Amino acid sequence: MYGGRARVQQRPQGVNLIAPRGTNFQSKLVGRPVWRDDVALTILIEDHLKPPAISMTTTPISAGAQRPRTSSGRRRLASARLPRFRAALALIFLTTVLACNGEPKQGAATGGTLVISTASDADYLFPPLIISTQGREIAEQIFEPLANIGDSLNVFGEAGFTPALADSWTWAPDSLSIAFHLNPGARWHDGKPVRARDVQFTIALCKNPDLASPIAPLLSEIDSVTVADSLTPVFWFKRRTSQQFYDAANVALIVPEHVYGAIPASRLAASPILRTPIGSGRFRFRRWVPNATIEIVSNREHYRAPAKLDRVIWTIAPSDFGAASTRFLAGEADFFSAVRASMLPQIAKSNTLRLIEYPGFKFGYMVFNMRDPANPRSPNPLFRNVTTRRALTMAIDRAALVRNVFDSLAIPSVGPTVRAMATTDTTIPQIPYDPQRAMQLLDSLGWRTGPDGFRARNGKKLAFSIMVPSSSMDRQRLAVLMQDQFKKIGVSVTIASVEPNIFEQQQHSHKFDTAIETWLADPSPGGIRESWGSAAAHTEGSKNYGDYANATFDSEVDSALAARSRPVARGLYSDAFRTLINDAPAIWLFEPRNMIGIQKRFHVAALRADAWWAHLADWYVPGNEQTARDRAGASPSDPVANTASSTPAGNK
Amino acid sequence: MASNRGIVGTVISRLVQAVIVVAIVTTLVFVLIHIAPGDPFAAAMDNPNVSEALRARWRAMYGLDQPLLTQYVRYLANVARGDFGWSFSMHRPVLDVLKDALPNTLLLAGTALVLGFAGGIGLALIQAMRPGSRTDRTLGAGSMFFYAMPDFWLALMMMLIFAYWFPVFPVAGAVDPIMHEYMTPLAAVADRLKHLALPAITLALLSGAAVARYQRAELLRVLPDDFVRTARAKGVSERRIMLVHVLRNALIPTVSLLGLSLPGLFTGAVFIERVFAWPGMGWVILNAVSTRDYPLVTAGVIVAAATVTLGSLLADLLYAVVDPRIRGR
Repeated sequence: MYGGRARVQQRPQGVNLIAPRGTNFQSKLVGRPVWRDDVALTILIEDHLKPPAISMTTTPISAGAQRPRTSSGRRRLASARLPRFRAALALIFLTTVLACNGEPKQGAATGGTLVISTASDADYLFPPLIISTQGREIAEQIFEPLANIGDSLNVFGEAGFTPALADSWTWAPDSLSIAFHLNPGARWHDGKPVRARDVQFTIALCKNPDLASPIAPLLSEIDSVTVADSLTPVFWFKRRTSQQFYDAANVALIVPEHVYGAIPASRLAASPILRTPIGSGRFRFRRWVPNATIEIVSNREHYRAPAKLDRVIWTIAPSDFGAASTRFLAGEADFFSAVRASMLPQIAKSNTLRLIEYPGFKFGYMVFNMRDPANPRSPNPLFRNVTTRRALTMAIDRAALVRNVFDSLAIPSVGPTVRAMATTDTTIPQIPYDPQRAMQLLDSLGWRTGPDGFRARNGKKLAFSIMVPSSSMDRQRLAVLMQDQFKKIGVSVTIASVEPNIFEQQQHSHKFDTAIETWLADPSPGGIRESWGSAAAHTEGSKNYGDYANATFDSEVDSALAARSRPVARGLYSDAFRTLINDAPAIWLFEPRNMIGIQKRFHVAALRADAWWAHLADWYVPGNEQTARDRAGASPSDPVANTASSTPAGNK
Repeated sequence: MASNRGIVGTVISRLVQAVIVVAIVTTLVFVLIHIAPGDPFAAAMDNPNVSEALRARWRAMYGLDQPLLTQYVRYLANVARGDFGWSFSMHRPVLDVLKDALPNTLLLAGTALVLGFAGGIGLALIQAMRPGSRTDRTLGAGSMFFYAMPDFWLALMMMLIFAYWFPVFPVAGAVDPIMHEYMTPLAAVADRLKHLALPAITLALLSGAAVARYQRAELLRVLPDDFVRTARAKGVSERRIMLVHVLRNALIPTVSLLGLSLPGLFTGAVFIERVFAWPGMGWVILNAVSTRDYPLVTAGVIVAAATVTLGSLLADLLYAVVDPRIRGR
């Protein structure tokens, strides 16, 4: 799927061959290769060799006659097969190392300071209020969920989830409740133990209307959380859904009640206490200088393992991509997550920098407004016709367009989804690029080409505008190229480049002909209902910007959401996507290939598609490659180490 | 004594005018920014989890669903109590944001102002001492070059040359985010100066070029005056004539320029601050406008309006200092 990796990242000395995580290991070695550093392989194998860090539990949570399904029960079977599995893996590991002639790296596999250059500050570091990606990537180091979603990003059932604050979990026989068993060693950064009441408090807080948390809608299927004992919170659901485990275990990061519980929810957003977060994660918060720096340090007392990096520092060049990228290129920062095509030659020339690609969760499309922008109560006279929409789609050479604008940093989109999502079916046929057929279709609809080269029907010209935000150069360039391609089939297009606030307002009030949008997908595919479902159409301010409505699509998505198994859900989602693609409510344009730039001395764990930072705590710089910057803050006598080890809150 | 009373009267009357100007500007900005498209929560709508209902709830929480007049009256009442509100974009009290940004801007703009005016006046003196010479023409062309240059472009070039090609200075920021706190006090000061250098020199080049051109023209206008000829006839050295006699009489337009530049000390240099990620007032206000951060925009404008009016008052007072004729009026 992402076969272009080898092209972007040259094979450095001493690297081994690996394949993406989450697949059968033997098939990795014979499958399509990608190049990553040898540490990634080691970590991968270590993960497989590790005995499951999960305690056995059979605690029933209801007096039902049925025996509860337990995750640990299944793991018992797995552990019986473990010695043979270990031996096979060890053999494969040795063979791989020998075959690749990779020399083991010297120095301890821990330590280092990662300096991240970014162009935006965090909004909050308090999970229930975070909206920005920046806030999320930092808060997810400081706070933990009950269980981590796996790298495959499966949200159906519990497959792939790994323990975080909860060691294990027990389903009720009727699947309407799940009891999570917290790790007894889990501690907040101020030294107090993590308790079931904290979980109960977090969910109640997130759902509290006075807080107005953006994650409240994601918890709507959770009825309540009760406390069975101090280490066992029990989630009760309103109904059984395929992703109820994901909703309970991964959506909310748990926050301490004793820190935030004393403040009324309505006043929490403005409370200064949110500037110095206290969590339970492998990193602890150290300082936040607004619009300048955010720093976290390894939590040496973490109940599983401290973060391998000593420190991670975000240096912020507020709203200025140029300064942020130059900081990285000039060596003042080690990491930059928003690499653009223009930076590739400089990174390629550098001896110290490298690029790593990972699948993205974003896609871009040009949406047709089904509502008449001049008369919002009426359907759009031009775009209500599916043949017109299909003809316009056929006029666009998406592959050429994407190559022109993004070089190799994007690929044509496959619909209202991304390739990295487990439910995405990349085999669904797309409407092909066929300008001849597009012209025939328009002819058949009565749109005749006039002397000026543009089509008209009953004296009305075939014309519309493409709205783009003035802040996005990429989208403006796409619009210009599309304008040219539409012109070739006789369609007159103007480009409306508007200020981002106006773009947003016009979107929500449906006052546009077409607009080029980008969308950041969520691991849960259910979000498609919000952006394309009939329920969200004809609603002021909804995210169904094009006001698209199709009963067939709705029923297919509803069925997919109700499906209890991943294969069934995937099939039903495929049907829904196929319906949508054929109905052409939008032209699916591009899916960026995410690229991070990083100093070569860092050993990077796997990058998860929805969050490159998911395994940040496992990154490190080997001892013999550490620089003075890596060591600053790592020695026992320096302020950071002292703060990390002796100050309970770790706050300055 | 009479002239002193006149000055005091002028100052009081100008201060009253300043209050009226600030009030009018504040009202205008408050209304305009509120009726502009979008609101402080528009950007959040990109997040799939943020629904219109949630946005409406946020608007209600911050009173943005109230009639504009109600919001304005409430805002004025809060300002009267010293509460400038809550910054939606920074998620902090507006006063805290301004308290952080103002010292940075004062440092940058103050340094640039001193460097720019000292350099510009010095350059003009060198040019005026040998008008028409090769030195004069070269310096004139140089100052014209920088005078004509867009500030953001010069900033980018300075960054490219002195931070990327020849990494003499850091790229951006006010201090080294990693090592600053481990430095000795002396090294910390050096670090701050190093970070200040590029943005301050860029700003100084731009303002200095303008000052040099104004000052040279004024020096050349004063040079043929009778009092200069008299001084020369009395045998006063050329250096003393330029520095004491000519320069003082040629300073009035420069003082005007200085007065007009003073508000920049508080409002910042938007593009320079942005390019060098300098966390000052210019960037804060620009960001506040684009994110529709109503309280921060309004507070920023209050600061700007107050400093513009006070700057112009200060310039008038400086006229009196450099020109005894004005003092006597």
